[in-house]
Amino acid sequence: MIFRVYVNFKDGILDPEAEAIKQTIANMGLKSVKNLVKGKFFDIEVGDKKNHLSEIEKISKDLLANPIIENFKIVKK
Amino acid sequence: MLKEKKISIVIFPGSNCDRDLFVALEKCLGTKPEFIWHNCSHIKSTDMILIPGGFSFGDYLRAGIIATKSPAIREVIRFSKKGVPIIGICNGFQILIECGLLEGALIKNSNQLFKCEKVNLKVINNKTIFTKNYKLSEIISLPIAHSQGNYFIKPDKLKKIEDNDQIIFKYSSDFGDVTEKYNPNGSVNNIAGISNKKKNVIGLMPHPERAIENFHNGIDGIKFFKNLKDLI
Repeated sequence: MIFRVYVNFKDGILDPEAEAIKQTIANMGLKSVKNLVKGKFFDIEVGDKKNHLSEIEKISKDLLANPIIENFKIVKK
Repeated sequence: MLKEKKISIVIFPGSNCDRDLFVALEKCLGTKPEFIWHNCSHIKSTDMILIPGGFSFGDYLRAGIIATKSPAIREVIRFSKKGVPIIGICNGFQILIECGLLEGALIKNSNQLFKCEKVNLKVINNKTIFTKNYKLSEIISLPIAHSQGNYFIKPDKLKKIEDNDQIIFKYSSDFGDVTEKYNPNGSVNNIAGISNKKKNVIGLMPHPERAIENFHNGIDGIKFFKNLKDLI
């Protein structure tokens, strides 16, 4: 069983990297992009027999994301 | 005879200011600190703990986060609860933030630059055990070297730490103007250093240990360390 955890910045947290990517798109002459949000994901494989969701939640909250500045979302693959 | 007090420096894989800190403490306080490796799960006794700058665990995931899972950090938290003074410098500040001893977050510099320069700091709170020998609003000059020093905190929490006098240093001009022009990284209200509520834990982005010799870019770090004399 694989859980995918998505992590991205909360609204209002400046992400200079996303801003740079957005600016680069404009520099490529492409005009349609109004906003761009960057994030990351982690695929975490666990055994099949037990419900591991609470552990994945703990990993997400205590390690993968900083709840002060980031959101996370867990999706079962 | 009084027992000699013990200063501890915690080292993580990727710390790189630990020896500078050792030299600074030895020179300014006349005491040899002990090094604690990050996987030490029991610190028998200590009278002060310092967490040095660097790039612990390669800044993987978020600066400081991986280090917070090292056994030595559980000990740092244990001693902090006993009131032992704890100081985090640069990556040490990031670690103290990520482990929850200090509030807020340190995110990427808003200007997308690794900032390596000398900055002026204004002493905002001179009533802590770490800063009581400074004058209020005294200006000191120290080097910074970081890409993730942009201090962020939500407005309601900011008000709380302001009301509780937890803001210790702010980036300023030579004359103490705290304005955007003198903010090197986008930090909320030019914040460069804060303390916990009890004021026994302090974190700052600038490097006092890099300003203690005549060949350094300034010697204002000497006073920072000499201020600790009363604590040991």
